[in-house]
Amino acid sequence: MDNSTQVILAVVTLLGSAGIWRYAEARLKVKAELKKDEQSASDTVLYRDDLKSRVEEMDAALKEANKELLALTEKVAKLETENSFLRREIDILKRN
Amino acid sequence: MTIVIEKLKSLATDLSTRYDSLRKIWQYSDSQPTEITLAAALVILYPIATFLELGYSPIMQLLAPIAGLYQLYCVSGKCLSCRVRASWVTFSFYLLAAVMYLYCGLLFKGPSYWGWILLSVSSFGSLKRIKKEELHRKNG
Repeated sequence: MDNSTQVILAVVTLLGSAGIWRYAEARLKVKAELKKDEQSASDTVLYRDDLKSRVEEMDAALKEANKELLALTEKVAKLETENSFLRREIDILKRN
Repeated sequence: MTIVIEKLKSLATDLSTRYDSLRKIWQYSDSQPTEITLAAALVILYPIATFLELGYSPIMQLLAPIAGLYQLYCVSGKCLSCRVRASWVTFSFYLLAAVMYLYCGLLFKGPSYWGWILLSVSSFGSLKRIKKEELHRKNG
């Protein structure tokens, strides 16, 4: 086999294998995209996403509730103090 | 008669399951051992076999071992795109060998020459597996 035949065959094979691979690669990509779409539309994934958003909402609500609880505790402490002063004053008034 | 039909049905189901399992293994199993084997064959077997059977061909006997070494280099690393590239080169060389043997009229002279077709198919399967892995990692 002479050199020019070898080179021609090599170039033809190279182009052929590149063509085959491009076709196969495109098919694999399409299949992967379809699989991805199927997965994102499946009930399990939707349920998981719903659960995630609910967890985030509940976490935010918990933080808000903690703040409110702290504010209420402060108010109760103030009122208790005021109450004890008022009782003392009532006692003084009663004695007089 | 009913028992025989039942047994045949269960055999058919079993064979179908095993066929599916083989198909999944072929499509998704780890391809590193195959890549290493194909690369080693490209470095050692390929130049010797082509030189003895087809004669001196610098494209096949000088470039193929380099491609094989490149494949080994890529398998030892963790870069998937490098492995895809190297596997495509390996596939091209095995396909080139099959084409050269076909051109010289040797490919169908004896069953042992069909090995080049087998190696081409094997390297193409390996290439597809790595690409699938790459796409799977990208898509998560």
